[in-house]
Amino acid sequence: MTNMKTFGRTLFIPAMLMLGACCCEKDVVVAPVPPPPPPAAPAPVVAPISDIYFDFDRSELTPSAQSQMKTNAAWLAANADRKAIVEGHCDERGTAEYNMALGERRAASAKDYLVRLGVEAARLQTVSFGSERPIDPGHNEDAWSKNRRVHFEIQ
Amino acid sequence: MRIRKISISAFSFALFCLLFLPAMLKSEETREYISIRKQGAGRISIALDRTSARGGKESEWAKSLDGTIRSGLDFTGLFNLMQAPLNMRTAQGGALNFGALNSVGAEIYTGGTLTKQSGRANLDMEVYDALSGKQLMKRSYSGEEGQLRPMGLQFCADLVELLTGKKSLVFGSRIAFVSNRTGFKEVYMCDFDGQNIVQLTSSKSIALTPAFSPDGKYLAWTDYVSGRPDLYIRNLSDKSTVAVGRPGVSIAPAWRRNTGEVATTLSFEGDQEIYLIKPDGKLSRRVTYSRGIDVSPTFSPDGSQMAFVSARSGRPQIFIQDLQSGASRRLTFSGTYNTQPSWSPLGNKIAYSSLQKNGEINIFIINADGSGLLQLTAGSKFNEYPSWAPDGSMIVFSSNRQGRRKLFVMNADGTNQRPLTQVDGDQQQPSWSTVR
Repeated sequence: MTNMKTFGRTLFIPAMLMLGACCCEKDVVVAPVPPPPPPAAPAPVVAPISDIYFDFDRSELTPSAQSQMKTNAAWLAANADRKAIVEGHCDERGTAEYNMALGERRAASAKDYLVRLGVEAARLQTVSFGSERPIDPGHNEDAWSKNRRVHFEIQ
Repeated sequence: MRIRKISISAFSFALFCLLFLPAMLKSEETREYISIRKQGAGRISIALDRTSARGGKESEWAKSLDGTIRSGLDFTGLFNLMQAPLNMRTAQGGALNFGALNSVGAEIYTGGTLTKQSGRANLDMEVYDALSGKQLMKRSYSGEEGQLRPMGLQFCADLVELLTGKKSLVFGSRIAFVSNRTGFKEVYMCDFDGQNIVQLTSSKSIALTPAFSPDGKYLAWTDYVSGRPDLYIRNLSDKSTVAVGRPGVSIAPAWRRNTGEVATTLSFEGDQEIYLIKPDGKLSRRVTYSRGIDVSPTFSPDGSQMAFVSARSGRPQIFIQDLQSGASRRLTFSGTYNTQPSWSPLGNKIAYSSLQKNGEINIFIINADGSGLLQLTAGSKFNEYPSWAPDGSMIVFSSNRQGRRKLFVMNADGTNQRPLTQVDGDQQQPSWSTVR
């Protein structure tokens, strides 16, 4: 979903630029010859940013979450113009209120870890959805383990 | 031992009469009745007679009242409602045949007459002790056609008070809750019995944890309408709403009696701590100072103490804090995940939910001093969010025992568990209040 949005936006911006260029040509009689574009630098190959997962009633990052976070931090470093909303989520067990607090602690843990890895804190905003937005609607450990997560919504 | 029991109940009832029932009841007969009842605390068998009426309109009203009274009395879980026997009267319109009532096991007889007087309904109700034949109560209720339900419910309240010696605050009370029937979680309210459902929010976001103020004038809840969970306080009379929008979360508001303050968890200082907020949305003061989650406050009836959930000892447990001294103590030691405390309006008990090893969530009650732990639900998936009736006689909660999350009610001892509402989608987070 996010990727589609991003893709759409990527197409939209050049389209607008071209549109702008066309409009300008009507007014400007002598258009300067545009300089040739610099050769495109090879884009750094970075794995995409991904969700991280937590143990039940825990907000500390597991070793596998820490490993994923290094990838996430690298992506954010390579895409320095992008910001992220760090969303904390919980599984349906326990209570909505406690989970809202727990989700916030998960989001805060993730943000702190990214900041330690060099991402500017100002690019990261946290929000807790508690157990309100499960990614898997199931009622078993398989679903729960997917729902105990921090999701990075890239802006 | 028996004599002592009787004298205590008689004394407490006398005290109760002195405080609440000036010249309302035929106290002599009633006290005797309650004294006898207390020895075997089963359901009271009541023969409910059809309200007699002459004329089409009157009969229609009488039928409506009979329905209200029957379902109202049934709701309390206190009574065994029986059809009046056919030979209940000695002759058509004759005297009551108490022998016939006794033979079917009726302990109490109630019946009445409905008349129409200048367009208004007038209901004359009588209550008899079927064993002795003594009249226990005779009262009249009157109102417009649109007030038939409150009239019937007032009789129910009077009858419960007559037969139990305790004032019933159930009839006329309301329950706020969250439902996702529109596809979004919004706050609703309904009457005590699930009737008359009204949608209160329409933010098309996520609205959670509604709580009416004790005076019924305000509603506090958490809403994601801004994109993150903020506290909202609405004045229900002029509909004005204030938002308490601080960075971070705002979770699970609860009203503190006698001060008009709302307690809620905020995290703008980093940790999730409980704060007191004035109804105008201004911060009153911070209450908790421990590392880790502090959430889900609930107050003793006098507002001097607060029970809440804290993860300060690892997993979530219920704690009690004195608001004056700030001293706190852990209340729950059984179970590893105890949350959602709800302090009884009678002051002595706290209901809460516990996530158990078998994966079920069940409701427990415990005395405020930590004694008397009692499990109220079992063997049925997630039973959550207990909230006491205003008189402490019943508990509303949410359960997914029949599939989706629905509201259920039970008596305060866990008996008589049954569904409350039949609404599409999921219903949860009920909050029972005295609001009329």
